[in-house]
Amino acid sequence: MLPASLDEAVSAMAESPGAVPVAGGTDLMGAVNAGLLRPMALLGLGRVTELRGWQYQDGAALLGAGLTHARMARPDFAALIPALAEAAATVGPPQVRNVGTLGGNIVSAHPAGDTLPVLAALEATVTLVGPEGGREVAVSHLLTGLDPLRSGELLAYVRVPLLHAPQVFLKAGGRTGPSRAVASVSLVLDPARRAVRCAVGAVAPVPLRPLEAEQWVAGCIDWDGERTVDPGVAQAFGEYVASACVPDAGTEGGAARTDAAPTAARLRRTVSVLARRALGRALK
Amino acid sequence: MTTPSDSTDTTGNPGSGETTLTNLATVREGAPGSATGAALGGLLTATATAPAPASTPGTEAAAAIRAQRSGIGVSALREDAPTKAMGVYPYAADLWAEGLLWGALARSPYAHARIVSVDTRPALALPGVYAVLTADDLPPGPDGTPNGAPTGPYLADRPILAAGVVRHHGEPFAAVAADHPDTARLAAASILVEWEPLPALTDPDQAFQAPPLHPDGNVFRQLPIRFGDPEVVGEVVVEGMYQVGRQDPAPIGAEAGLAVPRPDGGVELHVATTDPHNDRDRIASCLGIEPDRVRLVVSGIPGATSDRDDLGFQATLALLAARTGHPVKMVLTREESFLTHPHRHPALLRYRHHADAEGRLVKVEAQILLDGGAYADVSSEVLARAAAMSAGPYVVPHVFVDAWAVRTNNPPSGRMRGEGALQTCFAYESQLDRLAAALDLSPLELRRRNVMTTGDLLPTGQAVTCPAPVRELLDAVAEEPLPPLPVDQPDAEWLLPEGPGCAGDPAAVRRGIGYAVGMVPMLGIEGADEVATASVRVTGSQASVICAAVDPGTGFATLAKQIVQEILGVEDVYIAPVDTDQPAAGPSARGRQTWVAGGAIERAALMVRQQLLQPLAARFAMSPELLSIKDGRITSYDGVLGMPVLEALEGKDLWATAQCRPHPTEPLDPETGQGDAFVGLGFCALRAVVDVDIDLGTVRVVEVTAAQDVGRALNPRQIEARIEAGVTQGLGLALMEDMTVTDGHVLAPSFVGYRLPTALDAPDIRVAALIEDRDVVAPFGAKAVGAAPAVVAPAAIAAAVRAATGMPVTRLPIQPDDAAV
Ligand SMILES: Cc1cc2nc3c(=O)[nH]c(=O)nc-3n(C[C@H](O)[C@H](O)[C@H](O)COP(=O)(O)OP(=O)(O)OC[C@H]3O[C@@H](n4cnc5c(N)ncnc54)[C@H](O)[C@@H]3O)c2cc1C
Repeated sequence: MLPASLDEAVSAMAESPGAVPVAGGTDLMGAVNAGLLRPMALLGLGRVTELRGWQYQDGAALLGAGLTHARMARPDFAALIPALAEAAATVGPPQVRNVGTLGGNIVSAHPAGDTLPVLAALEATVTLVGPEGGREVAVSHLLTGLDPLRSGELLAYVRVPLLHAPQVFLKAGGRTGPSRAVASVSLVLDPARRAVRCAVGAVAPVPLRPLEAEQWVAGCIDWDGERTVDPGVAQAFGEYVASACVPDAGTEGGAARTDAAPTAARLRRTVSVLARRALGRALK
Repeated sequence: MTTPSDSTDTTGNPGSGETTLTNLATVREGAPGSATGAALGGLLTATATAPAPASTPGTEAAAAIRAQRSGIGVSALREDAPTKAMGVYPYAADLWAEGLLWGALARSPYAHARIVSVDTRPALALPGVYAVLTADDLPPGPDGTPNGAPTGPYLADRPILAAGVVRHHGEPFAAVAADHPDTARLAAASILVEWEPLPALTDPDQAFQAPPLHPDGNVFRQLPIRFGDPEVVGEVVVEGMYQVGRQDPAPIGAEAGLAVPRPDGGVELHVATTDPHNDRDRIASCLGIEPDRVRLVVSGIPGATSDRDDLGFQATLALLAARTGHPVKMVLTREESFLTHPHRHPALLRYRHHADAEGRLVKVEAQILLDGGAYADVSSEVLARAAAMSAGPYVVPHVFVDAWAVRTNNPPSGRMRGEGALQTCFAYESQLDRLAAALDLSPLELRRRNVMTTGDLLPTGQAVTCPAPVRELLDAVAEEPLPPLPVDQPDAEWLLPEGPGCAGDPAAVRRGIGYAVGMVPMLGIEGADEVATASVRVTGSQASVICAAVDPGTGFATLAKQIVQEILGVEDVYIAPVDTDQPAAGPSARGRQTWVAGGAIERAALMVRQQLLQPLAARFAMSPELLSIKDGRITSYDGVLGMPVLEALEGKDLWATAQCRPHPTEPLDPETGQGDAFVGLGFCALRAVVDVDIDLGTVRVVEVTAAQDVGRALNPRQIEARIEAGVTQGLGLALMEDMTVTDGHVLAPSFVGYRLPTALDAPDIRVAALIEDRDVVAPFGAKAVGAAPAVVAPAAIAAAVRAATGMPVTRLPIQPDDAAV
């Protein structure tokens, strides 16, 4: 099935309840090939052109779910939402970026999905469209399962506030070539609200927000002046974020394995370095 | 020295020691793929017959290369390059036969368990299932009970289908044939098994005390080396413990094959093997039939770095075909591939180096423990390689080693490029860095003071008789200019550790330079009978080579062609596809084909040359030695007489078969580890330049410069490709390749869980020198080139990380914790 519009796609979904939507197929077809999934039917979203671009609406950008990572990584998009562009640019190899989509990344909800911490830090919302019409859900609610995608629903748009301030995404994969994130940090400044928002990806099933660390560091910034902090603050922020997002091995559940402690220490250090660097880049 | 094939010797050339030349007049019957090939339809026939002379893109490049002089020393285009580049090279997974069934294997979910009962009825009840076989369907053991028809290269201890007990995660215990691959897998999954899980022995250190996992015990081999005086002590002593992880050969194409039953009750197998004749013999013995009733046809090989398929895969495939009477095809999934084929031996090494105040090595003490996994495979041989190479390419008067290879419930270990030599190279080179630091000498200078050369002794008491230009290799890499620092090139884009657009921070990056040198034994060791047979035929303007040496992508077929071009002056050389109807040429492993099979081809070609020149010489009334073949012309020594080779060949059909059998070796003494166990050694030096993000502990290898001892560069571009491949594979082990196994379970048997280097991870690889110091006993004086760079690369990269960070770096792969300061 290859619908050409969102309406067509939604009604096609309603008509064949067993159908699974496929956008770039980079996640889905892997599961099919591995025999993990045998969809009754596939609903290709590739021709739904209205989902492949973006528009502006009340100080926010309304991004189509079909935007590819390659498209988001281009300079015009990067000028709009820099952190999301940075995240998209680090997704897999070019072949995957050319077809993999924003919507697919969100619906797959892989812990190491690179756009997810950015969307969490930006407090983005998504528009889900089903036979009964559309509804607006916070990305974090969708990811945590608080308000999941219902059967027959498609993810149509992602609403991202335009903040007109520095924002970054940093990903550590442990090597030079493309890699899933071992940990990632997105940090955005919201000067209007004098807020710093930060989300850590890949260390838990969903992106984590270190709210206390955010508030603390926002208080350290001279919002009316140079917007700088001294290196000690950046360092402390890094550690604050890391201790909030990576639990001590051993304290969590009794069954911590012997090699879990060094792994947790390592991860904590990585998150701390990423958060420190992220703050440094945002305030540069 | 007598050889099994002496009976065919018609040249009256007995006991000449090195080689046996045979001149068979009979023309070989049964061209590859003829009988059954025709019945199997288009694709298979395409595999079995010659790749059509390229009439497609690539022809231009080929023509350009042909325009150069051909023969030895030329960078001839790879035989298989155009078809591989165009995607039409037929691999085993592409095979097809009319009416074929699909095979699947049922595998153990446990690392160690007793099979209490197996109920195959649910699988047999599925429509479309033709056969479900277990150990009960194999010839029984000596006591009459099923034992799974165990097999193995040295010890027959690995059942092809587990009987009574499984000893590693993923061990197959049943095989299914069905009319659809999904049905076959479903049937395999529906076999009911009552398991009694047993404690898994996964720490090789515990293997000695633990109850035996197998009637043969838990120690595959213990090998001491006692060389010199144990009481000697040096003025400076450094100690270290080193650990090498589990590297997988990760062939890009998973195991695949097609078996076709033969009317005589035998079976014909089309598989991507690197050792067709030994596989045939072992499969036949597992099936309980004569070797001649099993025929192996070698299909295109999608990646092999020595051994490839686990024999159980081929044998069960053959069994399914024989039992069902249908052709059976089986293609393993990536997960299965990771679970079954042999991996590199994980190793624990404890070293103590003694030196005098000037930094001259006095004594090396080492303990080496290799984790062989559940079955013996080649562990005993790998252990000998590790132990004998344990002091490295240095002069060490006193060496004391205790080495063990043990059985565990971990995934099976086996042969993989530079086996044994790699693990010890990492340890002894790390020790030399440690010693250099203790003596406040530069690592290069310390190595220069200790390098071995021809005439020096190995710890096994054997004198190194081949060229050993270790010093020259080190000098060659040291003299190369270093890559520029990013600060000197502010405008250039700097690729940071972590890659483009990620978390890297230039302020946290430190650069390090490391050196390493190492050595690898060539050919089989400890008395292995090394022999290959080859035939060369010339009819009119075309020469053909029939030699069962498999080219798994190493470029051997290209070399074979160059050898014949060089000797006979004929341009058009056809390399026949390999099957077991041809005389054996041995495995494509342990750096032997260029020497052994290349030597056989050389000799056969020389015999043809003699047949060609003899009548001409007689006509000119001069001895054939006074005629030479060059640039397609036969010329006399004085240049007076001459004619094109093709003219001399007109109307002739010349044919010769020859063998090459390098000089024999002997086993190492079980008490002292002494003996002449090796035929030859190859050496390589590398300089690695790395950038390390010292906060994150991420390493990027910027550049690797190589100098290699090649004896003679038969095809320089091909050697460069081998160096690039070896360095990249070594880099994989150094930085990322590690099969994670917990309690014997392979956690992520996939390319997501098992990370291979990508183009962005691979450094610039530069060849500083190919040192051509001919090895007089080797054909053309050439040495094997594939393994040495892979052996040395991890050591060189570890040294560079050490230099950048000041951390000790004692394990492979290097973890972020080892490189973060
Ligand atoms: C080699 C490789 C490397 C990768 N590396 C990374 C990486 O570094 N970082 C990263 O984040 N990801 C990575 N991925 C994962 C993947 O590419 C991304 O998650 C991608 O964004 C998925 O998008 P897609 O369009 O291909 O999704 P698809 O595979 O088409 O779909 C994924 C899921 O989302 C559903 N879906 C898709 N679109 C919609 C929609 N509009 N409405 C409702 N449901 C929908 C599908 O039904 C399916 O369940 C990698 C994948 C591969 C194969």
